[in-house]
Amino acid sequence: MPPLKTHTPMEEPDTSKQTEQILQGIGISPGFAIAPAYLFSRTKPSLQRKQLSHEEIPTEQIRLDEALERAKYELKKVASVAEEKIGSESAHIFEAQVQILEDPVFTNAANAFILNEACNAEYAVQMTLERHIGQMEASGNAYLRERAQEFQDVKDRVLRSLQQKRLISKIQQHRVVVAQNLTAADLVLFSKRQVLGCVMDIGGTTSHASIMARALGVPALISAGWQAERVVEEGDWVIVDGFSGILVINPSPETMQEYRLKQAQYSKLLEQQSELKHLPAETLDGHRVHLRANLEFSAELPQLMEYRAEGVGLVRTEMMYLAQGRALTEEEQLALYKEVLEATSPFVATFRLIDLGGDKVLPLGKHEPNPFLGWRGVRILLDRQSLLRSQIRAILRASVYGPTRLMIPMVTNIGEVRAIKRMIARTKIELAAEGKTFDSKMQVGIMVEVPSVALMADLFAEEVDFFSIGTNDLTQYVLAVDRGNDLVANRFDEMHPAVLQLIAHTIQAAHRKGIFVGMCGEFAANPLATPLLLGMGLDAFSVSPVFIPQIKRIIRNLTYQEAKEIAERVLIQQDARSVRKVVSEWFGQNQDILASLMKI
Amino acid sequence: MIKRTVTVRNRAGLHTRPSSLLVKAASRFKADFFIEKDGFEINGKSIIGVMTLAAEPGATLYLMFEGEDATEAANEICAMFEDGFGEEAMMTKVVTPKPLAST
Repeated sequence: MPPLKTHTPMEEPDTSKQTEQILQGIGISPGFAIAPAYLFSRTKPSLQRKQLSHEEIPTEQIRLDEALERAKYELKKVASVAEEKIGSESAHIFEAQVQILEDPVFTNAANAFILNEACNAEYAVQMTLERHIGQMEASGNAYLRERAQEFQDVKDRVLRSLQQKRLISKIQQHRVVVAQNLTAADLVLFSKRQVLGCVMDIGGTTSHASIMARALGVPALISAGWQAERVVEEGDWVIVDGFSGILVINPSPETMQEYRLKQAQYSKLLEQQSELKHLPAETLDGHRVHLRANLEFSAELPQLMEYRAEGVGLVRTEMMYLAQGRALTEEEQLALYKEVLEATSPFVATFRLIDLGGDKVLPLGKHEPNPFLGWRGVRILLDRQSLLRSQIRAILRASVYGPTRLMIPMVTNIGEVRAIKRMIARTKIELAAEGKTFDSKMQVGIMVEVPSVALMADLFAEEVDFFSIGTNDLTQYVLAVDRGNDLVANRFDEMHPAVLQLIAHTIQAAHRKGIFVGMCGEFAANPLATPLLLGMGLDAFSVSPVFIPQIKRIIRNLTYQEAKEIAERVLIQQDARSVRKVVSEWFGQNQDILASLMKI
Repeated sequence: MIKRTVTVRNRAGLHTRPSSLLVKAASRFKADFFIEKDGFEINGKSIIGVMTLAAEPGATLYLMFEGEDATEAANEICAMFEDGFGEEAMMTKVVTPKPLAST
């Protein structure tokens, strides 16, 4: 766990003049930051054209050379930091950018431009690279169009380098960084300047930057539609509430005080939580549940120990494929899974078969009008048997390194489960014939994320060893709300009683058949949901590791009986609003510090 | 001069990673290397050239090699296209974060 930032910046804001502005975004890394804003932009170095005298030209060309060398040096450094923090795949982008800087097509053109136009190097670089950016943006291929961004980044880096403004040197310590887009490497660099918080326009809870922010303990949020860069001015005092996703600009003295208090309470809470580390997730009357981690990147493995996760409830294996842009070989997969198991053992690690489709990937050459209802999850796996087979082989072979579970994504009918189980059985015979070892009793489970499965949970529970409820998709399908669609995003609500009833039904069905039920959606990490999910009988919460302490704290502060009563009351409500009321009452009654932190 | 025709097989087209690999490989040879697509010709040793070709999956490219080691260059580079730059039969064209472990 990174050290808690408890210091107060030296300056204090002048809160008398400006009007307070409160904006709702999406919190992606918990905590509070109160500090002046620093507007971080890669796209605005100044680039006025200057007319040079003939004698100045050689000096200008030398200036360009030096700037290119500096930019290369910076990029190599960023590449090595990125590689260290997130792995070698991410270094490819930087390597290509170095190649651009060394490309005579660019360097010769820029030099010739300076000579022919007798202009400054900034202008020459701008004109030269802008031409290529234009060409790429004109491509009919969306993915290649996006690659123009890499040229843009190179251009900005060289321009900055020409003006000798290194990114970092401009940022004072203890600022909130406001940017359109941040990379993981940016966050790493910022952390050296003790940046207190981040606000960005682009990204998601699983983006590189979000994961890095959480790993570094930097409170962060994403603007939801409003563009942070436009509404915040350099030097404005801002408050980042990484829990609720609220950004306060030019806070009033009252708001300031309110958040200083929350900040202090949160520090205290974190201290208490670190004392909780070694204690089990157990209610006051001794009901025990498991708190597990969701995993995507190797950078998160150390967090398992840090937050005392009791195993991994979800390994998103598709991320490995997406990152590589190709199918991994069986041996490559084995190595990855082994690494996870070695970090997780003696606790269990749950590998979800690659879950592509939906928002994760566009099956090439097929434009799906409704990708979320299209070719995704287990449907792709069953149509791509070689992909499926090599992954099952790798998971089985890895199972000797620690308790392993295999999970099937996006199941909608029982035939799919049986088909995968047959494939597993065949694979075991194959492996045995080859003399390879594996855990012959490896557990197989399914994601419950589609209403058809939740409704028929009794049947499915007979067929598998465990369930994991995926609330993001379940909610989307139950409420018919596309969670990626801004127009209806505010109708996406896991607290809708229909969603809760399906969750309760699924848990009951599983328990009747004696199987285990976990939850790995974002809902599991929502502290407001903890009492009711506990009361419904959920066996395991699988969340991003940073959320483990606060969930544990809630669980250790109530009885199972109490939780069951909350769940019962919740299940008879008519809408999400009244559900929230029931839950918030409990938090209110208990005067828990969390109540003051949570925006209900 | 050696002339070859290749098809972009990797499913994401000549995006950043394959372009980078292609240029790196081409630069090891003395032979000049040019790529033509839709009547547009670029120097295959220039990453800017290769990337601005914007060669999508399925695109046909004409490769030209000239110089003492042209044959070797042609063989190696055609093999890279053939192999889909190590990005075989996947449906993905999204590049997202790093995998679970460094490989």
